Amino acid sequence: MSNNPYIPMPVQIAKIIDEVDTHDIKTFRFAFLNKEDEKNFKYMPGQFAELSIYGKGESPIGIASSPTQQGFVEFTVQRAGTVVPGLVTSALHDMSEGGEIGIRGPMGNSWPIEFLEKKNIVVVGGGFAFTTLRSLINYMLHKDNRSRFGEITVIYGARTPGLLLYKDELAAWETRDDIKSVITVDKGDDNWKGRQGFVPAVCKEVAPSPKNTVAVICGPPIMIKFTLPVFFDLGFSKENILTSLEMRMKCGIGKCGRCNVGSKYVCNDGPVFSLAELEELPRDF
Amino acid sequence: MTDFKKIEENLKTEAGRLLKEGLVTVVLSYGKGFDENHPMPYAAKTIADVENIVFNQYCNYNMARYLVRYPQGTKIAIAVKAADSRAVIQLIQEEKVKRENLVILGIPVQGMKNPKTGEVIDSKTTCGLYNPVLYDILLGEEVHGQKNALPYEVLAEYEAMDKDARWEFWEKELNKCIRCYACRKACPMCYCDPCFIDQSKPKWADKAPQSPGNMMYHLTRFHHLAGRCIDCGECSRACPVDIPLYLFHKKVAKECEEMFNQKAGMSIEDKPVLVDFRVEDSDKILE
Amino acid sequence: MLKKTAIENISQLAAVLMEKGTLLAPVKEVSCHNFAEISDPQKVDLKFYNTLMSPKSAFFPHREDFVKYKVGKPLSEAEHTILNLKPAFLFGVRPCDVKSFEIMDIHFNAAGIIDPYWRARREATTIFGYAYDINQPVDSADFYNTLGIYAADPEGSDIFMVKKDKELLLKSITPKGEKLLAELSALEKASSGDEKYYEDYIKKGKDYKTRFTCVDSEVIAKKIESIFDNTDFWTKMSAACLSCGICTFSCPNCYCFDICDDTLFGKGTRSRVWDACMFTDFTLEASGHNPRTQVYQRLRQKVSHKYSYHVRKYGVISCVGCGRCTRQCPVNIDIYSIIEAALKA
Repeated sequence: MSNNPYIPMPVQIAKIIDEVDTHDIKTFRFAFLNKEDEKNFKYMPGQFAELSIYGKGESPIGIASSPTQQGFVEFTVQRAGTVVPGLVTSALHDMSEGGEIGIRGPMGNSWPIEFLEKKNIVVVGGGFAFTTLRSLINYMLHKDNRSRFGEITVIYGARTPGLLLYKDELAAWETRDDIKSVITVDKGDDNWKGRQGFVPAVCKEVAPSPKNTVAVICGPPIMIKFTLPVFFDLGFSKENILTSLEMRMKCGIGKCGRCNVGSKYVCNDGPVFSLAELEELPRDF
Repeated sequence: MTDFKKIEENLKTEAGRLLKEGLVTVVLSYGKGFDENHPMPYAAKTIADVENIVFNQYCNYNMARYLVRYPQGTKIAIAVKAADSRAVIQLIQEEKVKRENLVILGIPVQGMKNPKTGEVIDSKTTCGLYNPVLYDILLGEEVHGQKNALPYEVLAEYEAMDKDARWEFWEKELNKCIRCYACRKACPMCYCDPCFIDQSKPKWADKAPQSPGNMMYHLTRFHHLAGRCIDCGECSRACPVDIPLYLFHKKVAKECEEMFNQKAGMSIEDKPVLVDFRVEDSDKILE
Repeated sequence: MLKKTAIENISQLAAVLMEKGTLLAPVKEVSCHNFAEISDPQKVDLKFYNTLMSPKSAFFPHREDFVKYKVGKPLSEAEHTILNLKPAFLFGVRPCDVKSFEIMDIHFNAAGIIDPYWRARREATTIFGYAYDINQPVDSADFYNTLGIYAADPEGSDIFMVKKDKELLLKSITPKGEKLLAELSALEKASSGDEKYYEDYIKKGKDYKTRFTCVDSEVIAKKIESIFDNTDFWTKMSAACLSCGICTFSCPNCYCFDICDDTLFGKGTRSRVWDACMFTDFTLEASGHNPRTQVYQRLRQKVSHKYSYHVRKYGVISCVGCGRCTRQCPVNIDIYSIIEAALKA
């Protein structure tokens, strides 16, 4: 039973970045302990993996690094669980650099890179749900890839400045001229010099023309709810609005039957769906 | 003997009247299943629904199970047999339903059968009473002059076992459990949300059907029903692998009765026995 | 090849099979029969209608261990479960249940990532199908005819068995079955009369009627899709449902599972354990969001999965009409009646 899809590969925590001022979101950089595993772990932006800690369980988390980054894989993890305690995410948050965990993956489909090629891309993210979007942005910005895509616009918002993820990268994007980056917070503080306002309103103001443009949107349900109409009004078609779904998952490989929405398994047929595809599905998520 | 047809007629008449007069919004009783021997619990909500009501010897469901599904304040009529009426009383004691929101349709009955086995269930797995303890409207003749079957008689063999034998007995029986949770779901008194067994922090037991998780689940459930189980036997009938759950419940009920001189669900004036402290309470429980 | 044995000598055949490997066969329990690994050949009991639990556990046990671990130790020290299976013989499987294996094969053994445990167990096993006794009445819960399955369908079995009075006729269906049957010297040769009896029995099996409704998989899949938002319908269908798990656990086609870490004193086992879409917490997310909080949503999921989603994903209905869910339901919810009602809804 080699390549057993249920058995995790060992990885070591190479680096931990405390992302937010509430200290409940951290980015974990993992290095594979077996070279063979690293070679086999070929992923694309938008995919996820099961982070696995024996004795605690497994948790499906979107991959936050880009495949253009070699030698490691990164996940941004929130210490989860107000209702269902996040045993895995809590345990992970309590670990230090050098610690060892397991990883199974990569899983799921990805942001449809071929479909995105030669198009303008507007990436819209809210709060913690920016992780696989960051992967996509870094992938597109890589020098080997940048020319394959048209204009790139990023609209990213969080509740407060302290809750913005990847602050160094956000700052770096500001200085580049091959990406237009608009960062907003619901409510600024004394040090905040940037924009204030909710994501949907900012989208209305700065979103590019729908012509040859695809919107890639991830965020809390409330943000999605108010952002979608903005893009409809701008004239984006349902085929050109993409998002990523979340469902409770276990196996991650389409076997355990938990994460279905209609005949689609989110883990396997998703998590990335276009709005046109989502409308085909029963409202069961 | 019980006139099932007559009771069915009365049930339909009363259900129709209550719905028509707007006194209740739902009548919990029994309806047609896929054949005559397999009736189902049924919630009639319109006058047209009343036609689907049936009553026969296989209608042994305890409809009190469904009371807690309705928001507090819903006006409900509920058909109850003897043990079922005790469940309603117990739920009133535990403030899960209010007496004034209920119209209780009492069904005196003997000779109910388990649809799976065809066995008469009277006192082996139930409390042995024939007449409902509490009702507003009686749908049949009260059973009189018929000696009530004794609810604890069936315990004789179990009580003859010593401690070790009992442990061995339950280990063997509970090992059969496949953790489908039909017992808890069929029980009118199992309304905890969430049930302890579904919690993940702390996690009380493994999910797999094995010891010690099976023990943990059943022993905890048994004890949580101490002084509350009204001996309707639904858990045992629901169990697909024939675990005699009723033995434990009856044993605890008997001890409770001996210690506190109170049976679960016999009067809405009572307080739940393990909630109520009385100076004269037996100290045996501490031994 | 057709061979035979007296049913009273079935323990001799059982003993031979036990020498060759693991024997799984029906045994009598308190008030039912179930498949069990046989350690005493006398225990094999063919006087059953159908088993309480489906034989899916032969390939998909209620609990399958993946790995044994020590908490806090490197992953490389964890012990992976290696299935070194002896040949196994699954003896006395009713035709509808045999069919269920084919349907489960698509999910576990053909589509997408292959499940190594299912495959290993399946490949190690020879299936002895066993026709229903067409001289006995059919159980009122059964409806396998609706799914195009008959009481004496040999399809899917390696060896198929029919009862001839006090004898058991065994016919090889696949090369695997042929090879095994040739080796079973405990069996007698069948006569030409037996051959005829067997052939007739298979034919007569078609006339042994269970409940039947004309169900075309495409039509029902579409119909179920179209009534997804008919909350009245689903609320009605699920009004009595207790939301326990017995229908899914006893179902030969339900495959949902959970992956659990069970740790005690620093040591533990990661295993997969059957789960049920009827349980409240099945889809409860860490955020607290649960898309299926209501009983009707869960029953809708179960029925839709079998009769619609599965058709859309794999092309076949994921139900064989064995009647177990109906028989076992504590409140007599009957999926056949739900399908009938759905077609009219």
